[in-house]
Amino acid sequence: MSKRIDLVNNLYPTTKFIGVIVIILSAFIVPGWKYSYSIFFVCALIALGSGKLKSYLIITVNSLLVLILLIFLMQSILIPSKEILYKIGFINVYKDGFYQALNLSSKLVAFTSAFILFFRVTTVKDFILSLENMGLHPKVTYVIMSTLQLIPEMKKEAGVISDAQKTRGVETEGNIFVRAKAFVPVLIPLVLSSIAKTEERAITLESRAFSSGAKKTRLYNIKKTRNDTIAIIILVVFLILCIGWRVLTIWHF
Amino acid sequence: MSFITKVKNDFTLISVLLIPVAVAINFVGFQLAQALKLPMYLDSIGTMLVGLIAGPWVGAATGLLTNLINGIFNPVYFAFIPIAILIGVLAGLFSKHKMMLGPIKIGICVVLMTLILTVAQAPIIVYVFGGATGTGSAAITAAFLASGKQIWESVFSSTIIAELSDKGISLVTAFFIAKSMSSRYLSKFKYGEQYMKKNKKTNIDDIV
Repeated sequence: MSKRIDLVNNLYPTTKFIGVIVIILSAFIVPGWKYSYSIFFVCALIALGSGKLKSYLIITVNSLLVLILLIFLMQSILIPSKEILYKIGFINVYKDGFYQALNLSSKLVAFTSAFILFFRVTTVKDFILSLENMGLHPKVTYVIMSTLQLIPEMKKEAGVISDAQKTRGVETEGNIFVRAKAFVPVLIPLVLSSIAKTEERAITLESRAFSSGAKKTRLYNIKKTRNDTIAIIILVVFLILCIGWRVLTIWHF
Repeated sequence: MSFITKVKNDFTLISVLLIPVAVAINFVGFQLAQALKLPMYLDSIGTMLVGLIAGPWVGAATGLLTNLINGIFNPVYFAFIPIAILIGVLAGLFSKHKMMLGPIKIGICVVLMTLILTVAQAPIIVYVFGGATGTGSAAITAAFLASGKQIWESVFSSTIIAELSDKGISLVTAFFIAKSMSSRYLSKFKYGEQYMKKNKKTNIDDIV
């Protein structure tokens, strides 16, 4: 088991990213909704293999369930067409709309589950690092990494400020105008205090020669292995097979 | 000066350091709007703020980064990357053409932004999501559809309603944040000057 966990997780981030792109491309190349929906289960299997099944399922359901239900509701019930597929009480489910919804949602499922799986098995740190190795500017790396650190920090601070304002008598409950008025006294102090910190950060970074063009050294690094070459060959063969299948089905029908 | 160097020159260290803060403001704004149960997203205040004081390109980068990070937890956001970029660019252009001075001009900016964003957003909503977005405005779209309107008409109407209040409040909030920044800080940004407080006592012309 532990060996299998290492297999996917330890691939080089860009290899995994190529994998995601190939999966998404294949969903658009292979016709029909069945294949695209099956990607959700394939990704779930890979997630199981790398021990990330639970978070994968939670995030996928969170981001897709409501959206897909809405797509089906709008396309198949609210947009009328000629043929009726089912009749549930007084509600008509229209055939054209139903298949349209099935197609749209299948592509969305394929796209979303591939990306969610990618971010389950790759840390953002590794991914950005691999991009930097490909020539991404270190400034960009810094911006992304510090954003990821800053978001939870500022969310916490927003909680503190809103508590402080509540004790000073700012109403956070009531009708919509009362609640809207509470928005400003929380946001503005938060923004101004965090902006003041960026000045200090600029001085700190400059004192460490952040803006100098010299090559940066780093403590943390990742390397490509033989598995990456094998994975990329498999992915390319898979993509060619998909295109081949599509071409063959066009010839036949 | 070529276009690329022009864009590169916008990304000074201080404006680059503002980007993470602005992305976090977007997140906190959204979280606050949810906590206060406001019927808006308010998730682009930071993008607009950066656009206003640091120019369209830094604003665009902020919008892009916001949606990329949102996409880590919900890849549906990737589809709206063009819209997020457009918000930053528009705010930057408003500032560049000095359109954020006075309530009437800001009103015009809000209407302009709403219209442009609606036109840009409607094709994404219709072609990618079939009219649904998984947010509050989808309910309005559904209501319009149920009353017999066509899909494009419904999406346009619901997007205009949702965007007008959301982007209106966001732009005004961003404007007031810019206004309440210190002149010392604003002076480091490309378009910061127009948001400085005009204080006659310290006016350099009077002293000289």
